[in-house]
Amino acid sequence: MLRVIKTEEKTAKQMMIIRLAAFVLALAAGGLFILALGVNPLKVYGTILSGAFRSKMAVQATIKVMIPMLVAALGVTLAFKMKFWNIGGEGQIIMGAVFATYFALYHADWPFFILFPVMLIAGIVGGGLWALIPALCKVRFGTNETLFTLMLNYIALYLVAYLQEGPWRDPAANGFPKIPSFAASATLPKVLGVQMGWIVALVLTVIVFVYMRYTKHGYEISVVGQSQATAAYAGMNVSRIVLRTMFLSGAVAGICGMLQVSGSDKTLTTGVAGGIGFTAIIIAWLAQLNPFGSLVVAFLFAILEKGSSVVQSDFGLSTDCADVLQGIILFFVLGCEFFIRYRFVRDNARKAAAVKGGEG
Amino acid sequence: MKKLLSAMLAATMALTMLAGCGSPSNAPADNGTPAGDKGTAEQTGKFAPIAKEDIKVGVIHITDPAEGSGYTYTHDLGVQGMQKNLGLEDSQIVRKINVNDSDATAIQTALEECVEEGCNVIFATSWGYMDYVEQMAAEYPEVLFAHGTGYKSNGENFTNYFGKIYQARYLSGIAAGLKTQSNKIGYVSAQGAENGECTSGIDAFAMGVESVNPDAKVFVKVTGNWFDPEGEGQAAEALISSGCDVIAQHCDTANPALAAEKAGVWAIGYNSDMAEKAPGAVLTSTMWDWSVYYTKAVEDAINGTWDGSNYFGDMADGLVKLAPLSDLCTDGTADAIKAAQDKIMSGDWDVFDGKTELETNTGEKVTLNGADYGTCTWYYRNVEVA
Amino acid sequence: MAQQNTTPNQAEPSAVGEYAIECRGVTKRFGTVVANDGVDLTVRYGEILALLGENGSGKTTLMNMLSGIYHPDSGSIRIAGKEAVINSPEDSMALGIGMIYQHFKLVDVFTAMDNIALGTPGRRLPARELRTKVEGICKGVGLTIDPAKRIYEMSVSEKQTVEILKVLYRGQKILILDEPTAVLTPQETDKLFAILRRMREQGCAVIIITHKLGEVLDISDRVTILRRGKYIDTVNTAETDEQQLTELMVGRPVSLEIDRPEQGELNSILKAVDLTIRKPDGAIAVDDVSFEVRTGEILGVAGIAGSGQKELCEAIAGLYPAEKGAVLYRKENLIGKNPREISRLGVHLGFVPEDRLGMGLVASMGMVGNMMLKTYDAPKGPFIDTAPAREQAEELVDKLSIVTPSVDTPVRLMSGGNVQKVLLGREIVSKPSVLITAYPVRGLDINSSYTVYDLLNEQKKDNVAVVYVGEDLDVLMELSDRIMVLCHGKITGIVDARTATKDQIARLMVGGKEEA
Repeated sequence: MLRVIKTEEKTAKQMMIIRLAAFVLALAAGGLFILALGVNPLKVYGTILSGAFRSKMAVQATIKVMIPMLVAALGVTLAFKMKFWNIGGEGQIIMGAVFATYFALYHADWPFFILFPVMLIAGIVGGGLWALIPALCKVRFGTNETLFTLMLNYIALYLVAYLQEGPWRDPAANGFPKIPSFAASATLPKVLGVQMGWIVALVLTVIVFVYMRYTKHGYEISVVGQSQATAAYAGMNVSRIVLRTMFLSGAVAGICGMLQVSGSDKTLTTGVAGGIGFTAIIIAWLAQLNPFGSLVVAFLFAILEKGSSVVQSDFGLSTDCADVLQGIILFFVLGCEFFIRYRFVRDNARKAAAVKGGEG
Repeated sequence: MKKLLSAMLAATMALTMLAGCGSPSNAPADNGTPAGDKGTAEQTGKFAPIAKEDIKVGVIHITDPAEGSGYTYTHDLGVQGMQKNLGLEDSQIVRKINVNDSDATAIQTALEECVEEGCNVIFATSWGYMDYVEQMAAEYPEVLFAHGTGYKSNGENFTNYFGKIYQARYLSGIAAGLKTQSNKIGYVSAQGAENGECTSGIDAFAMGVESVNPDAKVFVKVTGNWFDPEGEGQAAEALISSGCDVIAQHCDTANPALAAEKAGVWAIGYNSDMAEKAPGAVLTSTMWDWSVYYTKAVEDAINGTWDGSNYFGDMADGLVKLAPLSDLCTDGTADAIKAAQDKIMSGDWDVFDGKTELETNTGEKVTLNGADYGTCTWYYRNVEVA
Repeated sequence: MAQQNTTPNQAEPSAVGEYAIECRGVTKRFGTVVANDGVDLTVRYGEILALLGENGSGKTTLMNMLSGIYHPDSGSIRIAGKEAVINSPEDSMALGIGMIYQHFKLVDVFTAMDNIALGTPGRRLPARELRTKVEGICKGVGLTIDPAKRIYEMSVSEKQTVEILKVLYRGQKILILDEPTAVLTPQETDKLFAILRRMREQGCAVIIITHKLGEVLDISDRVTILRRGKYIDTVNTAETDEQQLTELMVGRPVSLEIDRPEQGELNSILKAVDLTIRKPDGAIAVDDVSFEVRTGEILGVAGIAGSGQKELCEAIAGLYPAEKGAVLYRKENLIGKNPREISRLGVHLGFVPEDRLGMGLVASMGMVGNMMLKTYDAPKGPFIDTAPAREQAEELVDKLSIVTPSVDTPVRLMSGGNVQKVLLGREIVSKPSVLITAYPVRGLDINSSYTVYDLLNEQKKDNVAVVYVGEDLDVLMELSDRIMVLCHGKITGIVDARTATKDQIARLMVGGKEEA
């Protein structure tokens, strides 16, 4: 008989070993899955790596995939540090993108150096306001933020669908429902071959790190996240902190949306968030809510994503298989958190027999 | 790693050279590749020839060819045909499947990966890819891009390809017009009147119907989506319940034909021969043979004759076809179709010749040139929106 | 181990009763921590054994092994004379062991009867039969309870009675109670002890876990003492006294006297006037109370748990809204202001709340982060300044001999005593003029408790107005200058601690009128 018991706190080194072991196990389990599909798993893993790094262009593409993941994870980090379960990254990305797109479509005549900051601010406002709605309801009426933020995702998504079917539909598209492509003034230039969003993402990483670690606001977030009673005890205005932090969390997600439309997609589509709002949660969590950790984890996810897509075309594996593979890796890596806190012990068989004698 | 790579490369070269010996003479015979491509073939190319073993073709599909019928399947058959005609290796074809045309990032990633994997000719099959292909073509001027069904091109490395599918639709209209007893013919359309591709097809079909049955009317039901298995079936059911006894379609799945079979009425298929899917209902199908175009395009790249012009193939080229008529057709259908087809093939007559005045269902008089099918936003006089 | 005893023979019971439980050399390790190290424990049928030890001495671990939650790494446990391995609480119950935890395991919406019958093997008895049976058991040990009453309508003491009935109903002859008197009034404690004595007469074996020496001497036949996981000794209760037990428990002679320095300058500094506080569920927590807090003295607050102490403290600290009345600090009314507004008024209010890690401290932060909890906002600009907090933390570590690997180690990893030193230390560092402490020694070992008393007395000598909300009447009477007694949110009396008697206060705690 196996039993679960809580273990003492592990050292950082032990935790690293457990996580590494989980990763290796995940590769092994994923390998079995690939083998079952009749493909050599070693080759597939090799392809994932080479697919992400084989050429300058591949590396650039990998970094491009990483940008939205990283920025969205930074947004999630702010809210999660406060234990505000913001599952609405998806919607906040979309609303940031929608607000930014407005200026891209209707003020394309402005020069880039004006349009860029305006779109950036629009993205911040769009994402921030969208996140403020559930925060307000939480503070005012005690609503459940998890469900609320989740539901807002769908509203945002269908708003984009409405815009591309209706008011913002490209008249030149022969009836195909799409929003026009942005003018050059509304698109981000490339720096070192990748859209300049990567600079924004890196700067944001540092800003979020400093904000959380060294500012009064960051301190307040930590305290509120630990215990609202403690925060009130310390004289903090918990409601204001919740509202402010959620605005910022949404704002960062909004920046992610803005970077996507203006740096990558060069138009607004319903696929602008494409699940990144959810992936970001996993990234932020795996990174233990550390912004630089998110940088590393987002990069690993980008490798997996980019590499899997090459696996799809090279081995004829469906993209769904790549998703299964990602799922397996996540399952193991997240599952190992269990072993950081608990362990199994085996009961002594001899003693188990003895209990019968003790009865009666 | 490097050793392995060079070994594989050498092997590939050896194989392609062997295959290359036999191919040029085989290809036209097998697939009716156009002998002289209407005024474009003799121009000099704008790009240097690419050795056949260096050719790498990228294809972006909106769904998965493994579906076995419909749009993506038909395009992939074309790619396979091209591969066979030219004797290319499997490794020379890179397929990106399930690339959602409303996910900009996915489209870009797919296109970029094709470039990155060394593709020098890239076919993007779905309408929604157009703008991204345009952007990529500007970014990678040495790579040849071709986009299906759209209207944009740059006259250099970004071209557009499509065909006179309306010719086949006109012929299929004859089969439907002769078959109907209720004089009500249903037509499931992916897009509304503002979409020229759909609308011109409906008009041609309606004209075909009218040529043999002036009393019949064509009722159009729009799904609003190129790929909507459920909606397409439902639209067909709605048309059938309103009295239509032949269901034609311009959408990606065989579901309208299957709905017709279930209801005991008849159907006209599209893209592939849907008699395979619904043998109890399908009279005939309007079909594409994309291998005709894909073979030509890749050959142009190999021969250095890629001239940056758009491709608009027709029935005479073999790009557009009508599937064999089934036994369900009314007697005399074959003859009527043959007569019309001969006129079209000879080049004496076309459905849309740009001169003949046509009457719309709002009573206006218009003309339409086939190449301008995209501008067609009016329905022919015997068409009604259901 | 037992051989180390100075008086080994006295420790063995002279009665002829059979051993109900016989633990020999039981050892349990958690990682590198040895929670139980070769512990011997025996209890006979017809005997009450007190298990005595400070927090962290391994009492609970030992009991958890008897109830099947943990397994000993080595050593043997014999139940009713037979070698036993207890794999689960089910095994433990089957062996005739009944556990009564501090947190009751009852279904709130069920009646007493339903709870008693719940989980017993075999077919459920019809209601009437069940009732008769329960009433019969009650009569046997002198319990009174309405079997049809629902748990949520019961007082703490009644709930405990139901727990005891559960054990008796199952016919379990071994009863283990974990700190059963912590939640009871003195009167209720007496009642409980009467029941336990009846059970002893009927041949039950009872183990009572406690750290209250008075109770040990009152109820038990023998006392087993644990210290830091080690078995120290077992003594016959009749042959020992508080001083010896304390020495065994703490490991060295300890003075049990609590200092009570002379009062300082007695100036009224804080005044509650007609203060009424209502809980969110509408119940009255504090009912129209008026009192004053004076500098240079310790005002003790006595009362059964839940008599409004928590709400009163939090309302003064600006953390709980009041319905009516005022709390005046000099001329300012503190009611309606939040803690920061209160501190902006120049009110130096120190508050050590009952919930140390959930309110007074940030559990996941180290001492440094916690030192600046109330002052982080002081420096200008958007950034925090950790340097002064670090300095303060290090000073505090030295001054109060706080045991922690570093000032950045999360405080939740520190022991209860050290946590309280951090909290109380921080409040004292802020130089308060009023210091409110709620249950500041709860769960602390004797050494830490005395450190707390000393610190409070020091504050009193510095002319700080100290409020001490406590549960141990002996401590309250020795430490405080005045004692205010609360019952159901009302003040039933404010007495001079130097002259009041324990009986008098106990009566006030249950609502009796103050006798002149």
